[in-house]
Amino acid sequence: MPPKISLKKLDRRGGLFEGVKSNIHTLALGVKYLVDPQRSTLLYPKEYIEHRPGYRGFIIFIKDKCISCAACARICPSAAMKMVRVTEIDPKHPDKPRQKQYPVINYQRCIFCGFCVDVCPTEALYHVPFHDIVYENLADMFLSLEMFQVEPQRPATSEGLPVVYEVDEIKGLVKRRKS
Amino acid sequence: MTSGGLEAGGQIPGFIVKKIEKEVYEIFIGPQHPGSGHMRIIVRLDGDIIVEADPDIGYVHRTMEKLSEVREWLKPIPLLERMTIIDACNVTLPYVNALEKLMDKKPSTRASYLRVLLCEINRVASHLYGMGIFGVFIGHSTMYMWAFGDREVFLELAEALTGARLTHTYPIPGGVRRDMPQELPGMARRAVRYMRRRLEEYRKIFVDNPVIVKRLSGVGVISKSRAVELGIVGPNLRASGVKYDVRIAEPYEVYGELDFEIPVFEEGDALARTWVRVEEIKQSLNIIEQAVNWLETHKGEPVIAKEDFDKLPKLHKEVYEREGRVKFVPAHATMKIPAGKAVARGEMGRGEIFYYVESDGGITPYRVRVVTPSARNAIVFKHVVPGHTLMDLPAIYGSIDYFPPESDR
Ligand code: SF4
Ligand code: SF4
Repeated sequence: MPPKISLKKLDRRGGLFEGVKSNIHTLALGVKYLVDPQRSTLLYPKEYIEHRPGYRGFIIFIKDKCISCAACARICPSAAMKMVRVTEIDPKHPDKPRQKQYPVINYQRCIFCGFCVDVCPTEALYHVPFHDIVYENLADMFLSLEMFQVEPQRPATSEGLPVVYEVDEIKGLVKRRKS
Repeated sequence: MTSGGLEAGGQIPGFIVKKIEKEVYEIFIGPQHPGSGHMRIIVRLDGDIIVEADPDIGYVHRTMEKLSEVREWLKPIPLLERMTIIDACNVTLPYVNALEKLMDKKPSTRASYLRVLLCEINRVASHLYGMGIFGVFIGHSTMYMWAFGDREVFLELAEALTGARLTHTYPIPGGVRRDMPQELPGMARRAVRYMRRRLEEYRKIFVDNPVIVKRLSGVGVISKSRAVELGIVGPNLRASGVKYDVRIAEPYEVYGELDFEIPVFEEGDALARTWVRVEEIKQSLNIIEQAVNWLETHKGEPVIAKEDFDKLPKLHKEVYEREGRVKFVPAHATMKIPAGKAVARGEMGRGEIFYYVESDGGITPYRVRVVTPSARNAIVFKHVVPGHTLMDLPAIYGSIDYFPPESDR
């Protein structure tokens, strides 16, 4: 059936009876949720969300896979990714140092769009499914090539418990402890 | 400049000089106020009756159109969605449609269904956001809490589909960036059933609540002819009895094949505008159901145009098989789009959005013009508010669901 557009009527019966009835409905519902509230608050950092795979969080770089094509730096919409030049020494030819380019990331600018991960022709970049990391100062958010290659530790994991949120038919979003 | 100059009708460049009448009290509401975003309304009061209202917009102007001109074709997508971050797919889809027109590309049917699915998830979330803010405006904090809590359910769906709660960056020319995960249809059906029940509760606690009904009926009435004259769009227009919705007037993606019914009310007051949103959420839930049913039974087609998919390298196809993620090819970063002009429009949560995109054949757009629904609805403040009491202003503001970042671009 094709979509259509149709006129609806608002039910505006005034009247004392209607007024009393809707008042009672309103109050009854309020009382219902007073005794049986619907809560989904995350008690961070005592709990933290374990996101689904595919969540676009922090980005990690695998240097061995990189072919220095700079596609990631070119596609970045917020200029968060930059190429740096490093001199590498190949153990087989120690006398011939090579100039190579690798990406580094600036988390002050990154918007987690995932374009860089999706454009990398060799899958040298990947997302970890979280982005709650604390830096002590702004300069630290500009990662060095070494830092860019290690998976950061999530602060909440040391003291918190993982939870997942599930969509429930009755309760909406319910929080469940992950064993 | 001396005051004598002003009295003689002199002007200070860049300033509007107005004579204030005696007995008229001028107050500045905003730019920080309990609503969403930053926007100032200058109202002039006689007693507590508003005699004049001036919407003072532009506090969150971020030069979106100009910035788009210096970014390669794909990069405006994450930029433009920040206009209305709560409605991210709806706001970028017409831009992508315009690019597709220029490139003469057609998305696969599966991609169209996925776009529609995300658009409707966004629409529900956006209406819930609007209703929550409306609740704050008129002092009904329960509505605020409920709507914002229930909005999370739909953000959860969007997150499962795209990997981000709000900044999805989902449609790209030729398709979408990811296929639907296995568990999404189940999640979506549960969310739909939950929300249908909740809407019934919303009716009891908010829209049928005698306090709210008294507060909203007959407030901010916009007649049918007035609505057309002012050029307002979206649910506000449909609350005034005008049967217009881009999804029906000019169906894009697969809206022409779905079964839904756009509600129209005749009263044109704040209560009717609220009801339009409630009824629209119901229709969006129907569309979500239909979309996941279709997506579940029509597997096999890639989520980007077939000709693009066939050209992908082997690794890209492997990643798609494994994770359902569409990888770009490096040429996407600096792709050129044939010279030409294209327009596209779509129906956002707040109304019609219009894009004009011009290409000179280069790697960046020559011009991107966007007209957002809130920009067109802002006129309501100027022409509908006068004549009401000051306390009706929040009710009108909330009921037109005005979103400053969208209007200011
Ligand atoms: S996720 Fe987006 S913003 Fe961040 S570095 Fe990658 S391309 Fe740039
Ligand atoms: S796109 Fe991938 S391979 Fe190319 S420079 Fe970036 S990380 Fe290296």
